Amino acid sequence: MNALLPLWSFVVRTSVKWPVLRTLAPFVPVVALWWAVAAWGPFPPAFFPSPPDVWTKFVTLMEKGILPEYLGDSVGRLAIGAAVGIGLGVPLGLWVGLSKGAHRALWPVLLFFQAIGDIAWLPILIIWFGFGLTTMTFVIVYTVLFPVILNTVLGVRSVRIELHRAAQSLGAPPWRILTEVVVPGALPNIMTGLRNGLGYGWRALIAAEMIVGTSGIGFLMFDARRAGSVTEIVLGMIVLGILWYIVDAWILAPIEQATGRRWGLVTQ
Amino acid sequence: MERTSRFSAALIFVAPLAVLVVLWAVLVPALGVRPQIFPSVAAVGRAGIDSILDGSLLRHVAASVSRVAIGTVLAVLVAVPLGILMGVSRGVSAFVTPLMRFFSVLAGIAWIPIATLWFGYGFGAIVFVIFNAVFFVVAYNTLLGVSTIPMTLRHAAASLGAGRRSMLTDVLLPGALPNIVTGIRTGLGFAWRGLIAAEMIATDVGLGYMLFVARDFYQTEVIVLGMIVIGTLWLLIDRLLLVPLERATIERWGLVSP
Amino acid sequence: MKSLSLKNLAKTYFDAYKGEHVTAIRDVSLEVPAGEFVSIVGPSGCGKSTILNMVAGFIPHSGGDILVGGEAVKGPGPDRGVVFQSFALFPWKTVLDNVGFGPKMRGVPKAERDAIAREYLALAGLSHAADRYPNELSGGMQQRVGVVRALANQPDVLLMDEPFASVDAQTRMTLQDELSRIWEERRPTVVFITHDVPEAVFLANRVVVLSKGKVLAEVDVPISRPRVWDRLVADDQFKDLSNQVLALVRSA
Ligand SMILES: Nc1ncnc2c1ncn2[C@@H]1O[C@H](COP(=O)(O)OP(=O)(O)O)[C@@H](O)[C@H]1O
Ligand SMILES: [Mg+2]
Repeated sequence: MNALLPLWSFVVRTSVKWPVLRTLAPFVPVVALWWAVAAWGPFPPAFFPSPPDVWTKFVTLMEKGILPEYLGDSVGRLAIGAAVGIGLGVPLGLWVGLSKGAHRALWPVLLFFQAIGDIAWLPILIIWFGFGLTTMTFVIVYTVLFPVILNTVLGVRSVRIELHRAAQSLGAPPWRILTEVVVPGALPNIMTGLRNGLGYGWRALIAAEMIVGTSGIGFLMFDARRAGSVTEIVLGMIVLGILWYIVDAWILAPIEQATGRRWGLVTQ
Repeated sequence: MERTSRFSAALIFVAPLAVLVVLWAVLVPALGVRPQIFPSVAAVGRAGIDSILDGSLLRHVAASVSRVAIGTVLAVLVAVPLGILMGVSRGVSAFVTPLMRFFSVLAGIAWIPIATLWFGYGFGAIVFVIFNAVFFVVAYNTLLGVSTIPMTLRHAAASLGAGRRSMLTDVLLPGALPNIVTGIRTGLGFAWRGLIAAEMIATDVGLGYMLFVARDFYQTEVIVLGMIVIGTLWLLIDRLLLVPLERATIERWGLVSP
Repeated sequence: MKSLSLKNLAKTYFDAYKGEHVTAIRDVSLEVPAGEFVSIVGPSGCGKSTILNMVAGFIPHSGGDILVGGEAVKGPGPDRGVVFQSFALFPWKTVLDNVGFGPKMRGVPKAERDAIAREYLALAGLSHAADRYPNELSGGMQQRVGVVRALANQPDVLLMDEPFASVDAQTRMTLQDELSRIWEERRPTVVFITHDVPEAVFLANRVVVLSKGKVLAEVDVPISRPRVWDRLVADDQFKDLSNQVLALVRSA
């Protein structure tokens, strides 16, 4: 045990110097274990590829340009979905949050359509729009939209009445109250909604690409499944995991926290 | 008083949905929408009655619900103890956090291809996808929950004479419970979507399958019926399971400002 | 500065839960000349906040008139500045931007409103906190900002609803000293609501005792200014007046 202490303190010191290492280091033993199981384990390679297999596949697909193209397709679809989802969801959420009548009329409907869930729409969308981009875009927008709307509504309604009153008695007209009080007050919730929405959205995208796609990472994985190429499936999973880890841990979570922390508006 | 107000609250909740159904009943014939594009209310009603009478609806619902139930219960039973174990030590939790985070962002649908390869099409693959969706999210949240319990709380318990066992049952588990519940909500959300997707791809029974087969025959009334059933089931899961769970932990303990 | 006058003011709420009307304010008449400091005291639930919310224009009144400088109030407006018990600072704005909010709504350019805000922050000894966010300040500091924010908008009447009730006793006395000093410098018209009798007497020219939605008594406070706690704690006139008001509140 004691012999390991210097090693441990070395790990601690380097990870303080380069924080990225702290994130990456834990994957080293996991990959090592994976390698060991692939090499000496009971599974045939067609069933359980080894890290070098996946790396070789990665290099091949990069050289052929397939992986960059598919990755670009998936990310592009998600970006469009996110943009449309925010563009529609935030104004709608503000409206439903501010208007008592709209809230009474629409809240149950919103909850119900959110409950149906994106993927259940695929069959009827395929009937309406066929296999293709429209269907996929619809599914992603739908998935991103509801968490954004619902959280925006919650955010708007969580702004304390005194803040509205304070702004009014300082001379703010209604539209300034919207921009100066309601929107910033709801912002942490809006970010939470966006983070949840994108979390669900990219899963829906993967499903849609598997079921209706002709390109994209989901399609790559499912096409590989049909061909029985487990290496490509694993590669697809790793690419997805890394991509989403970066988006979530390095972009979405920090934005979400930055809005809430300094203002002391703690969101769970 | 209490009863009537709950009743009227339910009425207020249902009214907008009823309006929606009326709109649907009026608009579909008025606009002359073809049944291959969108079904009439009556057609969906008939499809509902038929599928109840021949038992097929129950079969699909039972298949879907039992898969989710089995996968989720197994996942929670394994994930919570593991999450607590990993969270107790600062060093271990700092080390495994990126791993758990990686796997929980990957959880669910992305595992469908490899699950069907490993387990073949059918029950095993689907339960695996659900297990996986719930497991990583719950384990990650439990880990977060335990490692954010203030050290002072643990010290307080220790100096009050708490042993290992009661530290676990009286401090760590309850302290992490709100996070565990959050994890279960998120995980179940992923699992439910994963279920529908997996059933479309990899089985011959279940709600996702029911929808996807109906598509082959342009039976939009069956598709819409299935969507309504899926939506209603999720609302039931939410109201009867998740909301009471959250009420009992997160809100009750005032850990989240209302 | 303008005068405030309440004429036969009344308010009934509809209690939706009980399904009946509740009379919170029966018949309140009150004259506050321009530049006077009036405290309203009374036990919890006697209708103090209701009066203030009606004057501020946050809730409609059911009967009577509210006149500011002779004109009837319609809804909230910048002529009546409000200081809230819960501070009600905008958490997403720095102290400087909170204080500059009123001028910003009037369309004052950035540089100019920052200058105004800094001037008022200096008045309360808050210059060093200009770039902080509210949640980085103590409760006492936050309420200083709340007072300064209302003042910087130069309202005709300043309305304060138990503004110091949620800060600790020590800080409260400091805030009272400061408010008294600021009032002596600027002489705004103030309606100050509290259930703390010494606070009411310390600050006001006149104390109004409210009971069950009606004015029970008005007590003039002729104690000389400047008023500071160091002097008043041992002041006999202050003690007598406090005891007199306290007896009235007890009988309410
Ligand atoms: N929105 C409301 N609906 C019904 N009754 C109210 C409402 N607000 C206040 N009241 C009632 O009016 C009375 C006066 O309340 P309030 O002005 O808040 O008293 P105070 O500020 O003096 O403690 C209380 O009996 C209270 O219950
Ligand atoms: Mg009050």
